[in-house]
Amino acid sequence: MHEKISAGQLASIVILFQIGSSSLFLLASEAKHDAWISVAIAMVLGMGMLLFVTIPIQSRAPHSDLMEMLTRYFGKYLGFIVGLAYIGYFIYKSVRNVREFGDLVILYLLPGTPLDIVMIVLLAVGAYAIIQGIEVFFRVGQLMLPWLLLIYILLFGLMLISGLVDLKKLLPLFERGWIPVWKAAVPEVISFPFGEMIVFLIFWKHVVRFSDIKKFTLIPYTFSGLFIVLTNMLIIAVLGDLSGAYVIPFMFGTSLIEIGGFLERMDPFVSLLLFGGVFFKQATYYLAAVLAAAELFKVTRHIVVVPVGAVIFVGAKMFKSYMEQIQLGFEHNLKFHFPIFQIVLPIILLLVMVINHGFKRKKEKRQLDAPSNE
Amino acid sequence: MGQKHREKMPQPLSLHLEDNLASLRAAADKRSDMVIRSFHVPTVNQMEYALVYIEGLVDLTSINESLLRPLMSVLSVHDGDSAERFAAIQNCASAAGPTVIVEDMESLWQQIMQGDTVILAQGYRQAVASGTSGGEWRSIAEPTTQNVIRGPKEAFTESLRTNTSMISRRLKSPNLRIQNKIIGEQTQTSVSVLYLEGIADDSVVHEIQRRLDRIQIDGILEGGYIEELIGDAALSPFPTMFNTERPDAVTAGLLEGQIAIVVDGSPFVLLAPVTFFAFFESSEDYYQRFYIASFLRLLRFGAFFISLLLPSLYIAVTTYHQEMLPTTLLVSLVAQREGVPLPALIEAFLMEITFEVLREAGVRMPKAIGSAISIVGALVLGQAAVEAGLISAAMVIIVSFTAISNFVIPSPNLSVTVGLIRFTMMLLGGTLGLYGVMVGLMLLCIHLASLRSFGVPYLMPVAPLIWSNLKDVFIRFPLWSMRTRPDGIAGKNRIRQKKTLKPQPPQPNPGKE
Repeated sequence: MHEKISAGQLASIVILFQIGSSSLFLLASEAKHDAWISVAIAMVLGMGMLLFVTIPIQSRAPHSDLMEMLTRYFGKYLGFIVGLAYIGYFIYKSVRNVREFGDLVILYLLPGTPLDIVMIVLLAVGAYAIIQGIEVFFRVGQLMLPWLLLIYILLFGLMLISGLVDLKKLLPLFERGWIPVWKAAVPEVISFPFGEMIVFLIFWKHVVRFSDIKKFTLIPYTFSGLFIVLTNMLIIAVLGDLSGAYVIPFMFGTSLIEIGGFLERMDPFVSLLLFGGVFFKQATYYLAAVLAAAELFKVTRHIVVVPVGAVIFVGAKMFKSYMEQIQLGFEHNLKFHFPIFQIVLPIILLLVMVINHGFKRKKEKRQLDAPSNE
Repeated sequence: MGQKHREKMPQPLSLHLEDNLASLRAAADKRSDMVIRSFHVPTVNQMEYALVYIEGLVDLTSINESLLRPLMSVLSVHDGDSAERFAAIQNCASAAGPTVIVEDMESLWQQIMQGDTVILAQGYRQAVASGTSGGEWRSIAEPTTQNVIRGPKEAFTESLRTNTSMISRRLKSPNLRIQNKIIGEQTQTSVSVLYLEGIADDSVVHEIQRRLDRIQIDGILEGGYIEELIGDAALSPFPTMFNTERPDAVTAGLLEGQIAIVVDGSPFVLLAPVTFFAFFESSEDYYQRFYIASFLRLLRFGAFFISLLLPSLYIAVTTYHQEMLPTTLLVSLVAQREGVPLPALIEAFLMEITFEVLREAGVRMPKAIGSAISIVGALVLGQAAVEAGLISAAMVIIVSFTAISNFVIPSPNLSVTVGLIRFTMMLLGGTLGLYGVMVGLMLLCIHLASLRSFGVPYLMPVAPLIWSNLKDVFIRFPLWSMRTRPDGIAGKNRIRQKKTLKPQPPQPNPGKE
């Protein structure tokens, strides 16, 4: 059962997970054409979180995952409850992705198909990947990443060639000052997508060499962060201040591409990107929930896959509409709920670890000192 | 049954020649091709002898000229004691071929069945088997399934020894190991495992040996039996062992650290471990200049995707996403489909099945009536069906292009697999549109990523990513730039060639003006 992830595979999943579907949307749309600056700020803050909280947590317990850490440092009962909450958080994240994807597929690709079927199929593919194991899942990520990036580059290139990009739309910078830009970034964009790196506390222990973790998380993180900033800039440069009005601004942007009268209708590629991105994000959370549940309840992974999938499906059905899902997400979750799991709890965990280690070291020191005193 | 057979104690040979011959006759009851040639030599003690062999498995001239004649002349003047006489028999037998001394009925039978001639003599509990195997085999011919324009034109035959000789002729290294095994309770088929010591991974060699030893079956008739019994991912439609009828391909595989399994009676040699991308390689890739080879390889990958996805994409787009087509194309498609009574999915299914039937017929049909199939296929099923308004012309184009793309994949067993998966893709495309196709592709990727061939991940140089191996996957780098053997397949000895093999103009000698 010693499943191993190589550094390159970790990097691929970090990129896929971070980009997910977020590059298709305009993040921080309240900041209007300064949205990309908000994203950049959030990215730097998220990096700080990663550098000073998430990775230090892992390096204090290199061979355990989040669940093991929680039960070890928070005690058996509190740890169990917090662990359960984290499983709920992972599941809820997956629920949001599945539901969002289902709604978008019905909106853009299959207007006549029942939502349930779209979601069940997506979850079934995820479950299949998860049953094959962590190794296979990360390998699939490595396989798909170049293709998704290639499609992005192709679409960017086509946008540039067809003369849609007008960088003047990005000006003037800070039209309404710093405050709205900052407000758009904190905490919304930190919560989504940059703070979500917390989920890797479940996977890091499987990386072959522990020393690789820092490098192969931070570099891909920076890459995908810059990538999201870039797509945000591009969306604004193509669509201007109106970009916030579209459901998938990137899709609308690409639908404007027309070269030589035959290169048009790039929508299938965008839906491919959407599918690829959402699949990996959804499945990463699904996998994290499955692994966490298996660890917490001490059962084998295969037993948990279907129940967790069923919970995700039921959860995704609870939203009455796409709008409700978006509203709940952006109005409440991003501001109040997600930061608990992404920022507050990790910081507490780190503090407990630091204190605990301090005690232990003192104790060890005392024990070491004791014989010499005799 | 086999188990019981093993537990039985072997029956030792009797001192009396007549008893031995009687039990041989009893064992070979109703077996008319066994020949027993008794003779006696008028020496001092009037010895009785017998030669036993199976007609057709032996080389008769070698028996008559090299075995029987010297045997008789030596024995007729021999007057030593019985041990000396036995040594003399063995000596004579060596003239015809390698000898083995057998002491029980069972191994005696085994030797006879392998084409040996057994010499029995009155008064000995031992017999001498002399390697006189011969008989008729198909001669070496051109490959029928893996053709090249440039490259060796010979293919393996059904004879194990001919096949291994074709490999060792190309690979004169003393590190070439050829290990024999007998598999199959009834057929007693010889199976040879070939590898290069130091270049092949030892653990994989052991694993293959272990899996071969596990096989207990009545018969092995083709490498396919071995492949199915020892291959990984028993339930996957994808082949996890490579088969080829080209000795040069096997040699190249051995040089990269693969292990070859040659089965007697089959002109196809198995290679393992193998990755998915090996099925897109042709021997010719290495005989043509690398630009051409790389272009052809990319073409094959393109053809693979066309063959896999084209019908399903067509179905998905025409059924669910008409808005994605340019207006003029859409109008002409709609005009064609106007009179067609069937939905696109059914139409495509019908045509694809028709094509598969045609292909199967083309393979199985006697060659003499082969030309009929092109008439029936092309004219009746294609043109007439369109003219009758049963199928749209666009569908015929799609199906034909798919079919031709399918033949571009160099490995026949992968192209059949692709054909199978194409039907699933069509179903997905017909029910869930582009979303279905994407789901299908994702499932395919997950499945491929989960496969392993003797411990080597199936998608190896790509996922897990190994940069140095990518030199020979989508693009074939120039030979002089591929310095190392593929990582992950080859064992300890990695270096293939010197660093400075890139051809360069001769350096001007500074000494001479």
